Amino acid sequence: MIRFIRARELIVLLAVTLTPACLSAQELRPRSILVLDQSDLRGPFYYQVFSGLRAVVAADTREHTTLYTENLDLSRFEGPAHEDSLQRYLEEKYRDRRIGVIVTVGAAALELVLRWRPQTWPGIPIVFAMVDEIDHARLKLPPDVTGEIVKLGLADTIAAARAVVPGLKTIVFVGDPWDRQVIFRNWDDEIPTAANGLNVVEITGLTMAETRKKVAELPDHSAIIYSAMYSDGEGTFYPPATALALIAEKANRPIIIGAETFLAAGGIGGFVLVPDLIGADAARLALRILDGEAPANIAPATGGVRPIFNWGQMQRWQVSESSLPAGSEIRFREPTFWDKYRWQSVTAFFIVLLQAGLIAILLYERKLRHHAEFESRHRMSELAHVNRSATAGELSSSIAHELNQPLGAILTNTETAELILSGPSPDLGEVREILADIRRDDLRANEVIRRLRSFMKRTTFETRDIDLNQLMREVFDFLAMQASGRNVSLYLKACPEALRVKGDPIQLQQVMINLIVNSMDAMAAIPYGRTVIGRAEMSGGKSAIISIADSGPGIPEDKIAEVFDPFFTTKEQGMGIGLSIARTIILAHRGCIWAENDAEGGAVFHVSLPLSAD
Amino acid sequence: MRQLTGIVHVVDDDASFRTAVERRLKKAGYQVLTYPSAQQLLDLLPEGNEPGCILLDVRLPGLSGPELQERLGELGSLMPIVFLTGHADIQTTVRAIKAGAEDFLTKPVSSEDLLHAVERALAHQEVVLGQRHRMDSIRSHIAKLTPRERQVFDLIVRGKINKQIAHELGTTERTVKAHRHQVMEKAGVHSLAELVSIAERLGLLPESPEPDDRG
Repeated sequence: MIRFIRARELIVLLAVTLTPACLSAQELRPRSILVLDQSDLRGPFYYQVFSGLRAVVAADTREHTTLYTENLDLSRFEGPAHEDSLQRYLEEKYRDRRIGVIVTVGAAALELVLRWRPQTWPGIPIVFAMVDEIDHARLKLPPDVTGEIVKLGLADTIAAARAVVPGLKTIVFVGDPWDRQVIFRNWDDEIPTAANGLNVVEITGLTMAETRKKVAELPDHSAIIYSAMYSDGEGTFYPPATALALIAEKANRPIIIGAETFLAAGGIGGFVLVPDLIGADAARLALRILDGEAPANIAPATGGVRPIFNWGQMQRWQVSESSLPAGSEIRFREPTFWDKYRWQSVTAFFIVLLQAGLIAILLYERKLRHHAEFESRHRMSELAHVNRSATAGELSSSIAHELNQPLGAILTNTETAELILSGPSPDLGEVREILADIRRDDLRANEVIRRLRSFMKRTTFETRDIDLNQLMREVFDFLAMQASGRNVSLYLKACPEALRVKGDPIQLQQVMINLIVNSMDAMAAIPYGRTVIGRAEMSGGKSAIISIADSGPGIPEDKIAEVFDPFFTTKEQGMGIGLSIARTIILAHRGCIWAENDAEGGAVFHVSLPLSAD
Repeated sequence: MRQLTGIVHVVDDDASFRTAVERRLKKAGYQVLTYPSAQQLLDLLPEGNEPGCILLDVRLPGLSGPELQERLGELGSLMPIVFLTGHADIQTTVRAIKAGAEDFLTKPVSSEDLLHAVERALAHQEVVLGQRHRMDSIRSHIAKLTPRERQVFDLIVRGKINKQIAHELGTTERTVKAHRHQVMEKAGVHSLAELVSIAERLGLLPESPEPDDRG
């Protein structure tokens, strides 16, 4: 019966079953990791693996873990002698160090460590990294060995090649001889199956010089699949990325690659090993084991490979994003202009915006100015009109007189004609004479009205060709009545040559009328000898000068500058806008107007106007 | 309408108006002379005592209408002036009337108004001329009085009776009567009242009556 199991046996049973756990509970693994790299950690790829690993270990802040690393350099050195010396070296070195976990990077390193472990590191679990499916299957690993399997199948690589080269016909392998390959050596075995239906060209085991020559002459619809080259065959060794760069320089077809580090060197992409991911994953596994998990419980997972492509190369070979395998990452996208010149763009944009704003403001100002100019010209026309009305008001008696003359003659003539016609034998000849006189007087009256209306018209500024001589004659005719009524003698000395200017005839007439009426007003207090002399002359061939001189008292010296000011007047009933309007009008005609006192007494007003070009 | 004699003088600087008026007036039977300026009228017209009237514009070159009116007044012209103007302002009108214008018409003027005005002017002038003529003749008569007769005349018109006159002059009543008779005859009047009237018109009467000094 169970009750009869002896305590001793129970203890033994317990001890047996619990020992491993007890062992692990009592004797926790030392917190140290020994990383054995099959190549050289200083190469770009393996360095990245180690970076990833180290980062994860360093991030574990709970406990400090010591990291030891050793480069086996198996890609450059080989042979049993090398291996033996390595083993002795390592044994000696780590004799007194307690290692918690060994991490092997690369299948070659794993194989060696498996061989050496029983003697050198017995019982220490191994985490492998950078071992592909084929090697993993081949190696038949014991339970305390776990890690991450990388899927480096040639089939995927060729799939990538097909994505890059539609209608792929030929694949060209470039790299070190297969038996010297440490990472990609299994591709050789996969060629028959994976490359079924494709031409296969191998440029392996040649010198760098020969390789470069060959890759420059590849046929269309082919793709290069680069494994790794570590040496130029003539004694120089370099990291495979450097070798790739040399090859890519000469290659005339896109190069499919297997490692992330080859992306920048000239490969177009493919299913690549992502070294820091590989390192990180290995570190995580190692830490789990150090924390107490049994390696046998951790099944190896796959990972560490991603489809990644190079944008620049894609552009060169005109590969569109959509033809890439799903989930592909594209690196080295050309920074767009925006990316490259972000702050310059922003600054330029703001400068342009500012300028545009400034231009908009200036255009708006211009519009306002035009509007203001138009308004002011409009106002000037209105004011000129007011002035004309006022002047016309002053001249109204002359105008009435001028009209009543012909009207009176017409009336009397009509009555005379009626008388003649009512007689016994009318003298039709005389009647005809009378009618002719009537007609003439009617036209005369019409002319007076027409002139008045055109003077009084509310007009906008018109530009016409004007002969100043003629204008002055008309003005003097217009004012003849007024002058005689006020007992002023008017004299006009016209210029023998025509004085052609461009301007508004009504406004210029208005100026002259204003000046002459002013002169007449100024002489009102003088008993006799009132004269106004008008002169029209050419000055220097470029401008015309009109002078209006009177025999009045002249302008007080201190007021000469003010006479043109608005609302300046010495007349009781004066509005003071006549001369100011005159000045505005003359300025609008791009001329000048000024006043001075004549040496013999009396004031003289001068107007100069530019002659029109023709 | 009685046709009066007399020349119508038309002064206007507007040729067509001048011609039209001349035509009309001639048709109405008047004699017409035209002048383009006031100065010309002054130059061409003698004293202006002939029968006639002047049609005068206000606005003329040189001498204006009212100025001509003044001038003619100074010269003692009795020719009536009818103003004819294209623009009538009250000031000018009033001044012209006050200065003795016959009438003041505005252009355009109907023939009727024009002819009536000329009529009236000429009629007025006739009356005035007639009066003047008579005055002149009386003055010449009075001038013919002897000094003694003149003295008697002066006292008669002051309302002195013969006796007073005789006393003042130191002569007899009879002599005075005789002189009085002579004076009446020479003056061409029939009553004392007429004589006094003449004296007054000739301006020979003192303004205020002399104190009555009785002997």
